[in-house]
Amino acid sequence: MQVMIMGCGRTGSALAVRMHGEGDQVTVIDLDKTAQGRLPPGFGGVFRHGNGVHRRVLEEAGIAHAEAFVALTANDSANIVAARVAREIFRVPHVLARLHDPAHAEAYRELGIATIGSVQTTVNRVVQLLHHLTLEPHQTFGNGETLLVRSRVPDYLGGRNAGELNVPGEIGVVELSRRGHSQIPEPTTPLEPGDVLSFIVAAGSLGRLRSFLDGKWSS
Amino acid sequence: MKVIVVGGAGLPEQVAAVLRDAGDQVTVIDSGLGREQALADAGLHYVVGDPLVPATLEAAGALKADVLLAVSQSDEDNLVISLLGKRRCGVPKVIARVNDPATEALFDATWGVDAVVSPATALVEMIRVPVADPTVS
Repeated sequence: MQVMIMGCGRTGSALAVRMHGEGDQVTVIDLDKTAQGRLPPGFGGVFRHGNGVHRRVLEEAGIAHAEAFVALTANDSANIVAARVAREIFRVPHVLARLHDPAHAEAYRELGIATIGSVQTTVNRVVQLLHHLTLEPHQTFGNGETLLVRSRVPDYLGGRNAGELNVPGEIGVVELSRRGHSQIPEPTTPLEPGDVLSFIVAAGSLGRLRSFLDGKWSS
Repeated sequence: MKVIVVGGAGLPEQVAAVLRDAGDQVTVIDSGLGREQALADAGLHYVVGDPLVPATLEAAGALKADVLLAVSQSDEDNLVISLLGKRRCGVPKVIARVNDPATEALFDATWGVDAVVSPATALVEMIRVPVADPTVS
């Protein structure tokens, strides 16, 4: 993949090294010439000094051939503007932008720009680790707002139906493994102690799911 | 007219004062740069907040404003403020300042900008226009 990264800070440089290591063609752009020093000696990608908001800089960096554009500067406005230019003027198929201040999320949403929320991701992860250690996610979506978690069905839930654990908008039972066989359960499928369930759950509802599984469930 | 000015010290506040003196209802958005005392001293109405957040624009009266001036020293901020002012608050006339001529091409209706103020471009245009020779009639 040909990827263009705007912002050669800690994240941008680490991403550049990683993607180059995975065989991608990487171009990094930064306003600051000295930012090139964050890339390791012998970095096989390209570093370009310039403002990624400038059309000419993007063109000279080869944006016409880019399959992905990632805006990772420390400035939310610059990330928004560059991401929109990449997507709407240069039609780059995959555009991502970092969001520093969650209060700016509205501006990104207004333009439909997919965001990497450093703050939100960190907050979700810390709460996950501190409050919900027993529910280690198999997969997280977006910036950690939605998770896929698996858990054994506790004895006390035996005989309940899978659908009784569903909470619209918060928790959904999406898979059931029983004696090595996996199925997508119906809401009416009875649970057995020892079953392992996969739940899709909103980050804010992990506490609720945990209390179901810990036996604090009342219906 | 109801006018909202975003941009900080210097030109933005001077424009705000001139408009206020001309009888317009002017609100300045101070993005926490420590201008509160200066704004109060100048007798300018202001709200404190991040202009990149729609709630701040709304608190400044953007939903009922006639004009929004996005005239800060950051072109990227001016574009995003213009966009939010136009799309989220429906401000009829959005005027944005271009600081860096290389970004001027972006300042158009796709960002909610109705009119552009570009000091550099204005100066260059002025330089290109010949001065009228008073000896020629």
